[in-house]
Amino acid sequence: MKVKILRQQSPGSAPYWETFEYDGPADNSVAGALDYINYHDDIINADGKPTTRIGWECSCLQGICGACAMVINGRPALACETFLRDLKGKSVEIRPLRKFPVIHDLVTDRSSIHENLKQANVYIGAYQPAEDGDHAHQYAAAKCLKCGLCLEVCPNYVNGRTFFGAVFANDCYLVASRNHAEGGRIRALYAEHFGKTCSKALSCMEVCPMKIPTLASIAKLNRKKG
Amino acid sequence: MKDVLIIGSGISGMTCAVRCAALGVHVTLVSPFPSERSQSVMAAGGINAVLPGGEAGDSVQSHVEDTLRGGCGLGGEKAVKGLCEHGGEILRWLESIGTVFSVDDRGRPLRRAFGGQTHKRTCYCGASTGKQIVSALVMEARRFEAAGRIERRLWCCFHSALIRDGVCHGAMLYDEARGGLEAVYADAVVIATGGQNALFGKTTGSTQCDGYAAGKLFMQGAELKNLEFIQYHPTTMETPQKRMLISEAARGEGGRLFIRDGGRKVYFMEEKYGPGGNLMTRDIVSREIDAQGGRAWLDLSFLDRAVIDERLPEVRDLCAKYGGIDVTREPIPVQPSVHFFMGGLAVHLNHETNIRNLFAIGECASIYHGANRVGGNSLLAAIYSGQVAAEEISGRTGGMHPADFSGDVERERRLLEKSMDTQSAFPVMYMRDMLAETMRKHLGIVRSEQNLAQGLSDIDYDLSIAERIRYDASVMPYFNFSLTAILTLARATVTCALERRESRGAHYRSDFPQADGALGFATIIAYDGGSYSVRLDKERAYES
Repeated sequence: MKVKILRQQSPGSAPYWETFEYDGPADNSVAGALDYINYHDDIINADGKPTTRIGWECSCLQGICGACAMVINGRPALACETFLRDLKGKSVEIRPLRKFPVIHDLVTDRSSIHENLKQANVYIGAYQPAEDGDHAHQYAAAKCLKCGLCLEVCPNYVNGRTFFGAVFANDCYLVASRNHAEGGRIRALYAEHFGKTCSKALSCMEVCPMKIPTLASIAKLNRKKG
Repeated sequence: MKDVLIIGSGISGMTCAVRCAALGVHVTLVSPFPSERSQSVMAAGGINAVLPGGEAGDSVQSHVEDTLRGGCGLGGEKAVKGLCEHGGEILRWLESIGTVFSVDDRGRPLRRAFGGQTHKRTCYCGASTGKQIVSALVMEARRFEAAGRIERRLWCCFHSALIRDGVCHGAMLYDEARGGLEAVYADAVVIATGGQNALFGKTTGSTQCDGYAAGKLFMQGAELKNLEFIQYHPTTMETPQKRMLISEAARGEGGRLFIRDGGRKVYFMEEKYGPGGNLMTRDIVSREIDAQGGRAWLDLSFLDRAVIDERLPEVRDLCAKYGGIDVTREPIPVQPSVHFFMGGLAVHLNHETNIRNLFAIGECASIYHGANRVGGNSLLAAIYSGQVAAEEISGRTGGMHPADFSGDVERERRLLEKSMDTQSAFPVMYMRDMLAETMRKHLGIVRSEQNLAQGLSDIDYDLSIAERIRYDASVMPYFNFSLTAILTLARATVTCALERRESRGAHYRSDFPQADGALGFATIIAYDGGSYSVRLDKERAYES
């Protein structure tokens, strides 16, 4: 199998494609394949030339930390839970998330996700839950990995300067539901940075590794109470 | 004290940061990646707390006794008492910052049974307790970040502590994004870097937890404790990617272990230990599986579908995704695997190490769990230790004039540049892989003098060549400069295991299969210029 990777040596340098021949186990995930290419032997590209090791992030390797978010065959996904056997064709194309600055190869700086939440002051403060709170949905929303896949796929999200995306909407919902008294302020923020711009493509829900029902967060925040 | 530098932003580091900030201490919170990537999100099962309205007969005293018994007499009594007494308060605090616990129809936290405990006292959030706590803590920390009281430094790795005359003045950090070393001064430094997984290669935990900070600090004079006590979790699933943890919650909800004898299922734990056999402490269950050939099956298929869907959805999904197993219809093949490190940096009750103003919290500190940790106590200890360190730091007078370490930074910078100036294609990962193979082979569930001695000899060889090799500079520099300290920590671990000539908790010696009452003290190991000295803490110096 050919593995084609969009690489970049450092934040300011020019990106370039490099292809590798993968002859490792067929049941590997993309994360497993990257590890195999890097460390099974000396790293040599498909032209037979020695090259540098591929940079990518990982931590849990079981789909619950969001580190290995990247674009695989055009689809934003976690490398550790995307299996080679499920990919069509005899080659796979991998590139870094393009909505975030590249640090090195497939490693991107996703700190804008946190910066936006911090700037908007989205935190619970005093715990005053709504009496009719939807516990199951709160649990689901709190599983957000802050991986950025929802932003990568979103047609409305550009660079995070004004529209903050689904990750923001879900945290807004969580705060509003856990501190009812903050609901008004949070809803205003939600409207400004999400509600008025979201075109409801809902592609965010399709790529979310945690299957967070963002539409339900939207519906609950659009209601006057909840 | 005015300024604290916290290394590591998982549950323990964040708790310490939040408490310090609330008490008026400015926090610099350092980690290579955001908190969502920390190993804390992988803590599945739950957190122990004795709450009003709990199971009949349960009490804080009972929690203390279970913890001390699980730790086989090596957990410090005063420390454990403090830990257990604060369980209820910690749970209420977690709820107040927004942690979404699983609750009953009256909104009270549900509890499940966990290994080695006399009562159901493990509160939980489905099977993603750690993740839910991280999400709440991230929001709470964000409040203080917005107010400028917590400053996060991402892309930064710990390099070394700035220590002079037994006092810590800050730390040297390596900034991956900018590619440079810098000294950051602080009144206190808190290490919250998790366990030493990398010693064993791929474990149930995060690839980010490698033990480097503990190893480096050991080389800089910090004492380590109880390194020989390594918890093998009895139920992990082998996949090409890693060892996947099958949470103890699966057995807490009724899951049964068996082996096959021909066509017959033998429920070996229940046969030997009675109806509660599946929930014996992890050291016992792991050893029993090891004695059965190292493999067993965990059966959930007889459980009510609703129990699996409502209380164990993460276990169900993990098995389906990575093992192709439908747990409602078939058993899960399980093996014990390295999961938790009871040993680490030796700390006093206030979580300060033997180096003044250097603290350690969470899994990288050794204080509560003794020879074996009982399930549900690691999250509790992560939070409690963060709070204890914060209280201590905020109450101290700080502002000592920092010593000048610019010469040290310059020297380390030159060494780093020299190590990067190479065309070598040999990746440092091969050395880490060799170490992991050695550790798995010689520091397994059952150990012996001969086996451990061979392990020590292998690590000595690795150490003898480690600094003579040039490593592929296209790998992140951190991996290259961290190798020697990781090998040194491994050597210290095997040394401690050799010295403890008895079996206790997670440390089982086939040549000394019984516990020896005379050895019922913590192991302390110190390093001085290449020599390792081991002693038993008979004066209980670290229990003050």
